[in-house]
Formats: sequence, structure tokens, C-alpha cells
Amino acid sequence: MDLYEVYTGSRLDVITEEVLSGDEEHGEEHQEEVKEEEVNRDLPTKEAFVVVSERTETRELSSTSQRFSTDTNDSLRFEAYVPSSDEEGTPSPDSSVDGHEDVFEEHKESEALFGVTAQQKLNKVNNIRTKLEEKVVEMENFAGHLEEIFLTVEENFGRQEQHLEQHCNDVLQTLSHRYDERAAALGEEKKRKLESLYTQLLGCGRTLDASKDLIETAQELYRTEDKRLFLQAVMPTMKRIEEFAKEKPDLTLVTPLEFDMPLADLSDVKTMMDSINIVPAPSAPVINPQVSNSATRTSLRVCWSLFSDDSVEYYELYYRPVLEDTPAADSTKGPDVFNVKVKETHCSVGELLPNVQYEFWVTATNTTGISPASEKAVYVTVPSPPVIRQRECSSCPEAALIRWESGNTNPVDSYTVELSETGTDGQSGVNESIVAVPTCESLIQLQSGRQYLIYVRAVNIGGPSDRSEAFTVSTTGTIFHLLQDTAHPCLSISEDGFSMFYGDEELPLSAMTFDDNTFARCVAVLGDLIPVRGRHYWEVELEEDTEYRIGVAYEDTQRNSYLGGTNTSWCMRHVLTPSRHKYEFLHSGWSPDIRITVNPVRIGLSLNYERGILSFFNVDLEQHLHTFYCSFLHYVHPCFALDNPGALTVRTGVEAPQYVHLV
Amino acid sequence: MALAQVSSNKCSGGYQKVFEHDSTELKCKMKVAVYLPPKAENEKCPVFYWLSGLTCTEQNFITKAGSQQAASEHGIIIVAPDTSPRGCNIEGEDESWDFGTGAGFYVDATQEPWKTNYCMYSYVTEELPRLINANFPADPENMSISGHSMGGHGALICALKNPGKYKAVSAFAPICNPIQCAWGQKAFSGYLGKDKKTWEAYDATVLAASYSGPQLDILIDQGRDDQFLSASQLLPGNLIAACSENKIPVVFRLQPGYDHSYFFIYSFITDHIKHHAKFLNA
Repeated sequence: MDLYEVYTGSRLDVITEEVLSGDEEHGEEHQEEVKEEEVNRDLPTKEAFVVVSERTETRELSSTSQRFSTDTNDSLRFEAYVPSSDEEGTPSPDSSVDGHEDVFEEHKESEALFGVTAQQKLNKVNNIRTKLEEKVVEMENFAGHLEEIFLTVEENFGRQEQHLEQHCNDVLQTLSHRYDERAAALGEEKKRKLESLYTQLLGCGRTLDASKDLIETAQELYRTEDKRLFLQAVMPTMKRIEEFAKEKPDLTLVTPLEFDMPLADLSDVKTMMDSINIVPAPSAPVINPQVSNSATRTSLRVCWSLFSDDSVEYYELYYRPVLEDTPAADSTKGPDVFNVKVKETHCSVGELLPNVQYEFWVTATNTTGISPASEKAVYVTVPSPPVIRQRECSSCPEAALIRWESGNTNPVDSYTVELSETGTDGQSGVNESIVAVPTCESLIQLQSGRQYLIYVRAVNIGGPSDRSEAFTVSTTGTIFHLLQDTAHPCLSISEDGFSMFYGDEELPLSAMTFDDNTFARCVAVLGDLIPVRGRHYWEVELEEDTEYRIGVAYEDTQRNSYLGGTNTSWCMRHVLTPSRHKYEFLHSGWSPDIRITVNPVRIGLSLNYERGILSFFNVDLEQHLHTFYCSFLHYVHPCFALDNPGALTVRTGVEAPQYVHLV
Repeated sequence: MALAQVSSNKCSGGYQKVFEHDSTELKCKMKVAVYLPPKAENEKCPVFYWLSGLTCTEQNFITKAGSQQAASEHGIIIVAPDTSPRGCNIEGEDESWDFGTGAGFYVDATQEPWKTNYCMYSYVTEELPRLINANFPADPENMSISGHSMGGHGALICALKNPGKYKAVSAFAPICNPIQCAWGQKAFSGYLGKDKKTWEAYDATVLAASYSGPQLDILIDQGRDDQFLSASQLLPGNLIAACSENKIPVVFRLQPGYDHSYFFIYSFITDHIKHHAKFLNA
């Protein structure tokens, strides 16, 4: 409450005086202004806000506020709430009281009706209360703004006072300095003149003495009786007198009578006097570095500060995108510079590109001039949301591997993966986030038998992007997609990525393109199994007569050998001989001799890393066919091959039947 | 139906016991080995019947096959009867190792002098289960059967002749088609007479070709170096062909290097008990 006391003191009086002097010409208005001023004076006290519920006062308040908002801050243009009678549901407090009276009236008529109506009225009252509470909050905000203004005005006045005082002192100092200089110069001159006059006086005296001496000698001579002596002495004396007469005494004054007074040059004092009323041009503002979470995809909030002595009328904010592919030497031809004029020391700039760096600098201007530009600061807009690559995501009952595209051309700082569990009743469960993921993939540990929604955000210094599209993971089974880049050229893969076909037409070798990753001999493809050393189960559906190899292989299994032919793959092979269906369980080219009487058309594969087993089942019969016991040194991928034209479909996401765990 | 305990040894947490009883079917004293897993102390357990091969008694399996550990883990009672009536004083019963004592072939004999005592089929499928269910915590609805060689033949015919009675069946080196091999022809002609039509009722291959009933899932292991395989006594190919024809699921594993001995059984008994457990504990 200290602040309020300050306002009610001298500071407001200053404002009042200003207002009064400004309005003196308008006789009648003057009185109104005084009234308003009084309201104003009450304003900063708490009671003013509690009391303010009447329309007239509110209006006055709003008009007053207009006067105080010095057009330096838009947010100060406070629109006071004026209860409007047109608006339904927002009656004045008075009308709500009337409403209560109505309720009492009705009560006499019908108690049931009373309940309903009372409830309605109660709701109305509650509405009004909520609105009033909102108003109070707004008012409090407004009071906050006023506080700020008062503080600023006070500060500015103090600053100006100081400034004026300093300026006057400067002028006085200069003048007294001038006075001292001039006085000293005059004294010098006087001394010099007196000295030369005195010297002249001495010269005159000496000449006078000499003349006197000569006269006396002549008179003595004249009185001499002895003619001889007279004649003897007269001639030299005459000579001396003649000589003396020849010396003309200098009787002119050696010094001029006038003092040499240069005209006083007071022009500088004059400019100083003039400049008392002029504010100095501001110095360069200081631009702040970017504050985290202050940006959106298309906008940035830039802040800067000024030196406290400066008064500034407005700022000019300049910005341009920093394009990394533009060569530095060509910077003059860089992107266009945009320019915004603002009065505040902050500005929100919109219509920007996502995840782009922008260079900002700012100048301050007042009536005197424009400041130098601030240092340049680089701000970054928030990135666009990443795009989850559904086809490259895989999961198992214990985890999910999520891969995504950045969604931004420029690199971002990191990614955040968010997951929420969706219950069977559609409720979303606990949220978890994994932050600071540096790459475009993340392996997330999950609980089995649940359903999750997974989102990804891209993060840079400006903040996190919006969420990506949701990716749904059910941790009932293992889900993987086929690695199409490993597929033999003869193998075509269906739209959904789970069926493969080996056509009848033989492709000419020239039409086949192989790369290092493509199966070159075996018409095969690998599946992208999640790298989790747990249990995995998937199924394969095929025709009884299809000749196939299915199983697992290391990711780097030789592409030019047959699956099962090396020690990097394990697979079940079906061969159709003229006499029978032959089933092999191949690893390193060797298979146990196993006869199977019922040809499977739906084969379940169960991989258990921990126990090092890979089992095959005839799903329709729940029949165990074979189990490989092998300690898998690396992660394996499901592999599928067709040895003759035919088709094969992979079923993933199937919950492993209980019997597979009995092996 | 009185059971007399002959021996009892703690084994794999449970008890390996041998009992003796007077068999009504066989009209003689019969010994039977029963393994009771720890689980049997508290609840009823499924029963796995093991039929041994030629010359064997109830002892061979329980001392050589190493089945108790897996049975203990899966909570399965193992019942291993003797392979024929003993001490019936029938002329010629001890003359050869592949006929008479120790070679009952799991048939009900119709010919004199064997038909009074040599009713191993009825003993194994009727009397023995009744005896076990009455005296042990056995789940009467959950039984399975397996065997070796002649016992493998016995297990297969018991399962094929009684659809639904056994939840699972498996065999080690079974005599798959006895009417086509020397052992079977000798035994069947002795026990069943000259009419080969009557033999077919005890031939797994013939039975498989006409089987109809609940789905079976037959696991058969066979040593590749089994001298009786090469001597064409076992003929698994015939059974596989019949099962393929009649869509009876069989996984037949030809195990390289193994012979006809209990060393072979010991090597794969765990797989078989697991196979049975899958159906017995389902």
C-alpha cells in the first residue's frame, strides 16, 4: 500500500496543476476536470475499486484512464466494463435484487415453481458474480497499469529536473569562467600601461634635470666678471647648449589611451541556454536474447531495454531471416529487411516462417534524433510439428520404436516424445514424456496389453512445436513392416506392406536393379523387427503348395545366398517334391529330418531372445513343428522368401497364443 | 484292487513308487510304477501312461528315461506298467524274447493258451486307469499315452482306437505297421490267430487311415541309426503316409545318430512330456 500513498501525495498534485493550467482557457470544462481529478486521486486506493459498480463512475474512470494512457502502451487502453442493459443475463446488481423480490412473489404462488426459478435466478446471480469478479480482476489490472504510469511519470520528472539543474549549472560555470578570464586580461593590460607611462615619466625628469643644469651653468657664466674666463668657458658651454637643444625630447604618450576590449563571444553560452530545453538523442538500445517459450511457429516476441537516462519517443525494430544458404559475401543482397515502429520495449512479430532464425536490431528515436542501432540478436521461431513415419515404426508387447521426419528444413535442437495410455473406456491415462531426444527415432518402454497414443514435438530455443499426428500402439503383439529396400526385384509387395507376390513372368536380369541391401539370389525380403531382446510372435499365411522359406536372419545376412544356407539365418523351408511336401528347418545349410503329415497354411513364429529359441507352429492345429535353439548374438529380423512363384502374407500384431510359451 | 507298495523313492521333489496288485484282466500279480509329482500332494494331476517295449518291465523306464524332472515341473503323474503278464505258467511263454513274457504287444489275445492272461490292451486302457484313478490324486478326464517301440505301437493304437480318451499321444521309435513287419506278424499270429483281418484292429497304420474323432497331435521321434528301423520292423513311413492321407497331424523327427536304446529316449523325453503337458494342462 506504500505505493498508493505516494500517488496521493505530491506527484498527483503536479499532474493536477498541469491539467489545470492546460485547461484554464476553457472556463466550464475546468470544473469538470477538477472533479475528475478528484476521482483520480481516490483511484489508487483499494476502496475505489470496490465501490466502482455504478455506471457513471465507471465511465468517468474509463475517460480518466484514457487521459493517463500516454499512448505508449496499447495494453493500457483499458476498456472499462459498462454494463449494458441490452445484453441479456448481465443485469446491473440492482436488477438482480429486483429479481429476488420477484422470486419471493412467486413463492407465494407455487413452491415448485419457486425451486426452478430460484435456481435460475441463483445461476443468474452466480453469472453476475462471476462477471463482477472478472471486472474486479480487470480493475486491479488497470490499477496496476496506473501504478506503472505514475511511477514512469515520476521518474521522468525527476530525470528532467536533474537534467535542467545540471544544464543551468553548466551555463553558470561557463559564465563565471568567462568573467574570470576577462578580468585577468584587463588587469594585465592596466599593469602594462602603467609601467610604460612610468618609464616615460622618468625619461622626462632626466631631461628636465639636464636642462636645469645647463641653465645654471649658463647663468653662472653670464655672471662671471672675468671676461677672460668668460670667453674661455663660453664656447664649450654654447656648444653643449646647442647640442642639448638638438636633442628633441619625445613628448608623445607611449601608450594608447583606449583599452583593447575584444567583443565578448557569448554564442556558446547562448546555445547552451537554448539546449536546456532539448533532450539528448537516445543511445543505442540493448536487445535481449530470446527467452524460451516466447515464440510460436509464426511469431516471435522480441524485447529490449534502453539506458535509464534516455527518453525515447518510439523504437524501430528491424528484422530479417537468417538464411544459411546465402553466401556471407553476398550479404548485401540478403533477404529483405522488415521494419516495425513500436512505442514499447517489446514487440511481437508475426507472419514468420517456422523454425527459421531471424536477426533483430532496434533503434530508438526522440525529438532530437535517432540512436545508433543495437547489437543484432538472433531469434528462432518454433518448429513445425514432426511427421511420424508410420511405416517405419515397430512395436512389441514391451516397447515401441517410433521414427519420424523432422518436418522442418532447418535442424531443430531436439524432440519430445509424449505418450498417453488409452484405457478400454476411451479415457486417456497417465501422460509421460521423453525429452531431449536428439535423433528422429526413440525406443519407448511400454507395458504389455495396453494401448497408447504417441505424439512427437520438435523443440528449438523458441520452444516446442505443436504435437504431431497421434500414432497408436497396441502392445498386444509384435508389429513390424517389411524392409522394402531389401526385397528381391522379383518380389512385389502389396499396398499395405504385408503381402508379397512372386509373379510368374520371369524378369530379364537386365530389368532387375540390385543394390548392396537387396536380396540378389533368394527372392526374399526382411522385416523390420523392433530391437528388443524379448519375446516376439508373428504369423505367415500361404497356400499349401507355396514353396517358401520363413524365419529370421541377422540384418547383415548375406544377400547373395539362400536363407537358411548360412549361419546368419534360421528358417523353415517348404519344398514340393513329386512325391510329397518336404519341410526343412534350415540353419547353416543343415536341417533335421522332420516329417509333417498336415501341411500348414498358417504358420506361427515365436522368437524368444532370452531363451534363444525360435519355434514354428501350425496355427490351425496349434501344432508345434520345430524349435531352433540358438543364442542370437545380434538382433534378428524376420525373413520371408518365395522359392517359386506364389504369394505369402505376414500377420503382425497378433497376440502370441499361450501354447507357444510351452516350448 | 488292493495295491501293495513295493518301493518308494523321493525323486525330483515327488515320489517314484512301485506297486503290486492282482490284475483281474490278466489274472496275475502285476507291478506298476507310479511317479507322483509334488503337485499331486495338493491337487489332482493329469496322468501320462508310458508303455515300454519288448523285454522291458516297469523298471526300465523309471530308471533310464529321466522323465521325473519334467513330470515334476509340469505336475504330471507318470504310470508305467509292465509289458506282459508274468508267471502264468503258459507253455512257451519264456521261449523267445519277442513273444510271450515281456512281449504282450498290447492286444487282447483271442487264441489259446494266451487269451486268459494276455489281455494287455484291456489292462492298459481299462483296468489300469480305473486302478490309478481310484488310488491316486489323478484327474480321470486328463490322460495321455506314450511308449517306446512295441509300447509306441501300444500308445498309438490305444489313442487311435479310443478317440477322445487320450488328450495327447506320442511315441519313440514305434512299431508303426505291425502287420507288415516280422515282430508284429509273429505276435499277432500267436495272439490273434491266422486271420489277418483281425490283426488290423491293432495296427496303427490301418487305424490311422480310418481314424475319425477329436484332433490328435502326434509327436514321433525316431533314431536314424536304429537297427530295427533299417531292419524294417518299425516302418514309420507307412504311418506317415496314412496320416498325411487322413490329415492326422504328425510331427515325425528322424534324429540322426540315435539308436533304439533308452539313451535315445532319455535325450528326447523332455520334449515329449512338454508335448503332453501342452494338452494335459491346457
